[in-house]
Amino acid sequence: MRPLKLSMLGVRGVVGETLTPELIVAFAQAFGTWSGGGTILVSRDPRSSGEMVASAVFSGLLATGCEVVDLGVCPTPALQLAVRDSDSAGGVAVSAGHNDEEWNALKFVHGDGLLLNAFQGEELLDVFHQGAFTPADWTEMRPLRDGADGRDALLEQAKRVIAQVDRDAIARRQLRVAVDCCNGACSLTTPRLLQWLEVEPVLLNDTPDLPFPHVPEPSPATMSALRAVVKATGADLGLAHDADGERLALVTEDAEALSEEDTLCILADFWLAENPGPVVCNLSTTLAMDALAARHNIPLIRTRVGQAHVVEGIVAKGAVLGGEGSGGVIFPRYLLAHDALATAAWLLHFLAMSGETLSQRAASIPRYHTLKRKIPYGPERIYGALYQYREAVERDSQGAETDFTEGVRSVWSDGDGVPEAAIHVRSSTTEPFIRIIAEAHDPDRAERLAEEAIARLQTGP
Amino acid sequence: MTDSSHSSRPIQSLKISISGVRGIVGESLTPDLLVRFAQAFGTTMNGGLVVVGTDTRTSRRMVKHAVLSGLIATGCGTLDVGIVPVPTVQVEVERRRAAGGIAVTASHNPAQWNALKFIRGDGIFLSPHQAEELVDIYHQGQYRRASTRELLPVRCDTGAARRHMDLVLSHTDGERVRARRFRVVCDCCNGAASLITPEFLERLGCEVIPINTEPNGVFPHPPEPIPENLTQLADAVRASGADLGFAQDADADRLAVVDETGNPIGEEYSVALATEAVLRHTPGPVAVNLSTTALVDRIAARHGQPVLRTPVGEVNVAETMKRRGAVIGGEGSGGVIWPAVHYGRDSFCGMALLLSLLEEAGGTVTQLVNSFPRLVMLKAKTTCSTERAHAVVHEVTTRYAHEALDLRDGVKVTRADGWFHVRPSRTEPVVRVTVEAEGEEKALALQREVMALLG
Repeated sequence: MRPLKLSMLGVRGVVGETLTPELIVAFAQAFGTWSGGGTILVSRDPRSSGEMVASAVFSGLLATGCEVVDLGVCPTPALQLAVRDSDSAGGVAVSAGHNDEEWNALKFVHGDGLLLNAFQGEELLDVFHQGAFTPADWTEMRPLRDGADGRDALLEQAKRVIAQVDRDAIARRQLRVAVDCCNGACSLTTPRLLQWLEVEPVLLNDTPDLPFPHVPEPSPATMSALRAVVKATGADLGLAHDADGERLALVTEDAEALSEEDTLCILADFWLAENPGPVVCNLSTTLAMDALAARHNIPLIRTRVGQAHVVEGIVAKGAVLGGEGSGGVIFPRYLLAHDALATAAWLLHFLAMSGETLSQRAASIPRYHTLKRKIPYGPERIYGALYQYREAVERDSQGAETDFTEGVRSVWSDGDGVPEAAIHVRSSTTEPFIRIIAEAHDPDRAERLAEEAIARLQTGP
Repeated sequence: MTDSSHSSRPIQSLKISISGVRGIVGESLTPDLLVRFAQAFGTTMNGGLVVVGTDTRTSRRMVKHAVLSGLIATGCGTLDVGIVPVPTVQVEVERRRAAGGIAVTASHNPAQWNALKFIRGDGIFLSPHQAEELVDIYHQGQYRRASTRELLPVRCDTGAARRHMDLVLSHTDGERVRARRFRVVCDCCNGAASLITPEFLERLGCEVIPINTEPNGVFPHPPEPIPENLTQLADAVRASGADLGFAQDADADRLAVVDETGNPIGEEYSVALATEAVLRHTPGPVAVNLSTTALVDRIAARHGQPVLRTPVGEVNVAETMKRRGAVIGGEGSGGVIWPAVHYGRDSFCGMALLLSLLEEAGGTVTQLVNSFPRLVMLKAKTTCSTERAHAVVHEVTTRYAHEALDLRDGVKVTRADGWFHVRPSRTEPVVRVTVEAEGEEKALALQREVMALLG
């Protein structure tokens, strides 16, 4: 049986195994209790367990006296916008994001449109574990609103995104853009956005009724079909979506799949040239962000991994941009959430304004070789192994600067303080893995760092 | 962990019985309980199609979505037919050859209650044996768990009630009924029939005066169609000079009639008059439960037909009817079962049959009622622990051993001029005592005799 992950990020599990209706109604009642009634918006990505999970969420929320608005299939950032811009008390996104079809999850949104922060997430978990939900009696039952609201949320998101960018400049470029919607929620939004921007769309996997054609995790490993389409149609670039419209990865006009780490880097490089200011990313995000921060002479703040942590960092530091190496970019003045639609629109805007190709921009990003490894560990062994690794690093840091905020991160810098190599060893926030992210200019060095880390994890003290 | 949602308060309001799972919303009828029961039922459905309908109660969406989630998780197909009478769900299960159905309704219980009623593939409720099996699966907690690829989307269908109406009307001589232009007050108790009954009666040519047809689940009076709950309907009949009034309960399986003077004729007459209506044209056995009025026997005797008596409970009557080829029957509480349409209590069948009979008889409801012998039925219940209940039944059985006894459901004693039925309730710690005799005096004497025995 594959495990269940309950954390401040929400609840995630495999349908038919751990993510049962009983668990979902309990979590929904906990959230209804925690948010004190009021109106809760609910969205889902189109995976086939969505209705089962969403129905249980409706029941749990209604049972605690919440009014529920069913947005149907809708990107998570569109839900967050709708929550922020309405009087609603919160939102629940039914989506396992980049996880494969068999997974599903609940992401909880606060009334201000932000995912629950660590403190709020812990509170919700406490309510769940205590099981002391606040049931509504029959006179307190409130309606489940249905229908066109979901489509309104989609339109509103697209309108807001368009309003951010120079639509006419993009339209004048007469771009052709290939999009792999992965049959996810963006099947309903990105084609419309491109149409409004007068960009010629080449769509693949834009049928939300069908299963995901591949793991909905945008990265070079899942972009072979998109590359082929870009090549065949001579598109100016390719966009790859996850299931719920948070993450974006890119293919250049040469049909080269860029690392998902490049999405934030390319946007940050464009953005900081016009709007310098603090930037927030997570501890695992590529070292290229440090180099870009140095290029634009702005502070870079690294937080724990997870959108909620990055958003907290953005708010605390008044950052102008944020995101994660997984392909999620946050534009704070628009919305404090990963938003693939906004990311795509801004990318088109900057390319239109600069007249450059995507490959030219990618070439200007400082090159690091990034290795990502997932080492399966039983949940009962993860923390022991990480502790041993930390002790080993504390005994001998091998000349690196170390950071123990989340797992262990070691960074090696040159004489000028520009980072040359890094290794981050941490527990996955969503699955029973230890994640290792090794980076260096030289692929061999990255490989060596990863191998050393694995050896240190597995040999023990 | 998931049980904890109701661990802190005593669950006095939960009833898990052969007639389904009933509880009070906000107390015992929690989403957790509901998804578990839906999964238990889904497990027995083995991935087949399940039809789900609700009455109008304010908790209907909370309950329905828990049910849908549980059914989907076990790999069942789901058809959401919205707010409909219980018999509509039963008819739709049969029509679609579905594996089963779940009706979300607490029937005649007050508005704070809700319940799940489980329906088999033949449109009949689970038998006691099947219900026990379901409860076993619920308790064992070993539900069928479908993998992601086996999960099916919910389908919605808002046409089920109309098809149900069409079916009932197809068995009715509508032209003759329409010719009488009955003036009818209908009281839907703001229940599941609210959206349907006025149109149904109009299609039978009636001039309809609807009351309580807001499908909001806020009941203007207790939804059980017994005389004390029908004063508003009686007033409306008198005020409008209507020919009669119909009262339905919240899920529209039960029916009661108010005559043209505003007098509730008693819910026992619904089955009796329906029996007369059918036997006039269709000879065949009649089946009713043990507590149903003996007027049914008198009417059947006039037509030379036998009456089969069954233990109380819709499924018991329906199964007997099906097995023995009964042409009409039901339960004295107002539940008419007309096998030509389907094997379930159905107030629409009741209305169609009663209007047909009234048209044929030609007079008023009062005249129709007066054309039958007048029997007086008295219903009482007395608090009694479960252990004591069995002793009571035993004592009555011993005491009346020399008389005509029926021991299939408590004990029933039948005499030439009356009968009484002593029956432990399945849902409450009470013993129900029903007596019937010719005339009030005899009935009261009989009731006193039995109640004295119960102490």
